Amino acid sequence: MSRSLPPEIFDLIVDQLHYKPAALKACCLVSRSWIPRTRRHLFAHVEFDPVRHHFASWIRSFPDPSNSPAHHTHSLTIHRFPNGTTADTNVANYFRTFHNVVHLHFKFLYWTNHESPLVPFHGFSHRVRSLRLTHTSFEVFDLICSFPLLEDLEFVEFRPGSGTAEWSAPSTSPKLTGSLDLRSMGGIYLAIRRLLDFPDGLHFAGITASCFDGDFESLADLASRCSGTLEYLNLYCFSPGESPPAEFHDRSKPYRYSWT
Amino acid sequence: MSLDLSKATKLRDLMFRCRIPNIRWVATALQSIESKNLQQITIRLYPITPVDSIEEGDYRDLQELDRVLVQFWTSHSLRPRFVYAPEDGEKDTRDHLSRLLPELTRRGLVDVPL
Repeated sequence: MSRSLPPEIFDLIVDQLHYKPAALKACCLVSRSWIPRTRRHLFAHVEFDPVRHHFASWIRSFPDPSNSPAHHTHSLTIHRFPNGTTADTNVANYFRTFHNVVHLHFKFLYWTNHESPLVPFHGFSHRVRSLRLTHTSFEVFDLICSFPLLEDLEFVEFRPGSGTAEWSAPSTSPKLTGSLDLRSMGGIYLAIRRLLDFPDGLHFAGITASCFDGDFESLADLASRCSGTLEYLNLYCFSPGESPPAEFHDRSKPYRYSWT
Repeated sequence: MSLDLSKATKLRDLMFRCRIPNIRWVATALQSIESKNLQQITIRLYPITPVDSIEEGDYRDLQELDRVLVQFWTSHSLRPRFVYAPEDGEKDTRDHLSRLLPELTRRGLVDVPL
């Protein structure tokens, strides 16, 4: 059937199915000629959870990295590198095939040893423009600096780890011209201190943050450092023992510059 | 606690969320603004004590906030939005607010979502 359709019409039809994974999977089974276009959407958003053996499953399905659909992925989520685990170098090399990733999300990364399991992932895609770090500890700042085009940065729930001690900032850092989200974050003072050490400065257009009144001066310092570029500011300052209202954490309703 | 926004000349959109008794920083930050591009100011106040038992210092801070926000409207032609989120079961909220924020209330700038 695809032969009877002009390719641009076929592409248009498949593109309309971009949010229906089941339909896209069915398309892959119709004809080999349908596969390239459907893969573009099917692998646009990929989520890996080592605990659920997602890596192994991916490598089993696509043993040859050069033929894998990784280059279609522009949104990648990586879960859980448990404390003390270093990412396997081969796995990290495999991740370099995800070189078109624009939106990157790391979740649940805690460790106490000095060697960050994220080192193999530094700069694996030079196209990364937004980075979300959920439930991570402080060793992530070298990772942040490894993405030269990074614009948007979001932290959710930091836990101070071994990285709260000394840190030598890399020689370069991304321009960070998009949005910074520091909502619901412990240790905001330390995180801001690291950000202020970035050698190429901070140029955020938007800041959304919540903090205890004791950390307010740090936040004010951060806003002041971005004053030349700052276009929107959304702050919530609260007292110890109090927490921001639920609506402040509702990320299904981003305030502005959402990162979808 | 102070936030100096005098050098943020590109600032367009501002939203501050605060809860009594931690509100003084809002008026201070607003007073420092010199941006000519400002298009929107939203203040959202979450009460921590019953609105009818606010202490004298907090009352003064609210009055100051009332004055600063009204000044934005009269001198910058910028209509600020003040949203007050009442506690569940809180009664006579509008009456209390008209006492705490007289000018904003009189000019219809206070929203109380029900």
